[in-house]
Amino acid sequence: MKVEIDSFSGFRIYPSKGKLFVRGDSKVFRFSTSKNASLFLQRKNPRKIAWTQVYRRMHKKGITEEVAKKRSRRTVKHQRGIVGADLSAIAAKRNQTAAQRNQFRVAAIAKAKTEKKDKETKKAKPARSSNTASGPKVSKQQMKGGKGR
Amino acid sequence: MIGLKSTLNIIDNSGALVAECVNVLKQKVNNGWGSVGDEIVVVVQRARPISAAASASVTAVKVRRGDVRRAVIVRTRKAVRRPDGRQIRFDDNAAVLLNNKREMLGTRIGGVVSADLRMKGWGKIASLAPKVV
Repeated sequence: MKVEIDSFSGFRIYPSKGKLFVRGDSKVFRFSTSKNASLFLQRKNPRKIAWTQVYRRMHKKGITEEVAKKRSRRTVKHQRGIVGADLSAIAAKRNQTAAQRNQFRVAAIAKAKTEKKDKETKKAKPARSSNTASGPKVSKQQMKGGKGR
Repeated sequence: MIGLKSTLNIIDNSGALVAECVNVLKQKVNNGWGSVGDEIVVVVQRARPISAAASASVTAVKVRRGDVRRAVIVRTRKAVRRPDGRQIRFDDNAAVLLNNKREMLGTRIGGVVSADLRMKGWGKIASLAPKVV
């Protein structure tokens, strides 16, 4: 059982009550009483008829409860873990003190320096054989750089 | 409430536009008035003009003015009562043309059609309609 609403006044239409009117353009209108039906056919505007729901909504009559309800809707944000960094890892990183971060930074710098030194010593050994070839190259670059500026 | 001299719009693509009722069939009760789902005999009062080229195609105009044919009423301005008690009323009177064997003349229906057709045994017409109320 579906309770329809009146197309003119917004009243509820229970089964076996009222009329259904199909206009020439195939639009369906439901009327709960002959009063609504007659006014519709006289082409009255429901926005100007004081007892219709349309009018009441427009002039904000008797609506205070609805307005009070609308303010209590705020979404709470939950922190979620991502693939590659689960919740505990994110929390651990966030809760590091400044001292700890400093330690990590210093350790990382030292590590990088040692790695760089190793790389340079490795490079220096094979580079000695081709030292003469690189000599004139460097001078040309310098000349080009000098002219460019 | 369609009776003698009532005009109806023809809403299929058989080519007729307006038809006039001449007789309501099988109606010994109801004072001889026809309603949705009743078969009537009509005279075509206005039809779409037939040109020689158009008559060769499938969507040809099949009737002329003055043709006497049968039809079934699909919409009435007088309200019809449904079993659940509500009343349905349309804005005009409309019908669909048939031949003597109760088959449709046209191939398509344009417009709304009353759901009472299905209850009276015209399920094929109801299924062709774009909208059934």
